[in-house]
Amino acid sequence: MSPELVVFAVLALLGLVSVIATYLAVIERDLVKAILFSAIQSTAYAFIYYLLMAPDIVLVYIPVAVGLYPAIVLFLIKKTERYEAE
Amino acid sequence: MRGRERIAIAISIVIFVLLLSLVLTAGGLGYILPPPKIRDIPLIYLIRSYWPFSKYFTVMSPEVVTSIVWDFRGLDTLFETVVFYLAIIASIAVMRGIFSSKKEVDLAKLGMSPIVKTVTKITIGMILAVAASIALHGHLTPGGGFQGGATAAVVSLVMLVVFSKYYLETHGVSKNSMLVIRSLGLLGVGLTAFIVVIIGLLNGVNAYVFQNQPKIVADVGMPVTIGGALISGTLWFFNLFEMFAVAAGFTIIFLLLAIPEKEVLEQLKKEVAGE
Repeated sequence: MSPELVVFAVLALLGLVSVIATYLAVIERDLVKAILFSAIQSTAYAFIYYLLMAPDIVLVYIPVAVGLYPAIVLFLIKKTERYEAE
Repeated sequence: MRGRERIAIAISIVIFVLLLSLVLTAGGLGYILPPPKIRDIPLIYLIRSYWPFSKYFTVMSPEVVTSIVWDFRGLDTLFETVVFYLAIIASIAVMRGIFSSKKEVDLAKLGMSPIVKTVTKITIGMILAVAASIALHGHLTPGGGFQGGATAAVVSLVMLVVFSKYYLETHGVSKNSMLVIRSLGLLGVGLTAFIVVIIGLLNGVNAYVFQNQPKIVADVGMPVTIGGALISGTLWFFNLFEMFAVAAGFTIIFLLLAIPEKEVLEQLKKEVAGE
């Protein structure tokens, strides 16, 4: 297997992981778990950006999408409700 | 009802993925990805970002992305910074008149356990070092002011969770002090945008706003190196000031969000009652 093919395979795998995490984040009623799924999706995207040779985006994406954004939404959930109403 | 909702969400995601794959396989972005040939404008940027042979068409920075962000397309980034500043101002306006009460509590008892606190104290220095290197080497390696600032903001977030908000506020990290740092950072960005104009006015030469290196009709510019170290003219200063502005801006948001909801509601009720 050529190195390029490995990169494409990893990209496909990460894409699949991110799609599944997005689906789980949308349907999850417990919003804290939904944030965790969203952070998993962001992590997959961070790897994809790195493999697509965009290190500048990776450096801004990791602190914002994996650290700051889930933290801000967690603060908001603490101030409102944890479970989404039916 | 809930089952139907799930199926609808799943189908919409699957349709989105399939359509995107269809576009890609049909050659929407070309048949070979990444494309083997670079388009003309990116090629000019790639060649001209570090071109010591002609001083009129270059940024003198080996980092093409930072060259584009702060020089070739500098005004875009300035307005992006302004939008972020407006967002911070808006959130301060929403939380106006709400102050966190100064509790007379033992700071050592707040927050997490001593083990977590000790580990955090060690890692904070590492995070700050990484943030500074991302921002101050933004003109040499991938990174820049926003990236470094966002990384530095993680420090205040971690300290907020591990040490509590009161610890931060008794150690000088309050909303007002962060607002001062943020405003000074933005002032620095503004001054750096005008510095070549000021140099031009002092020398009686034509110069432009957001100019970095000399141009043919405006033969003044910022020094490329200081003491032998490459700073690429204005890029280093833009990255430095943007780092402080972004880190302080995020910290303000965290401090505002960390005020307990109970206190916010109490103060709002007092305001409604007209006190």
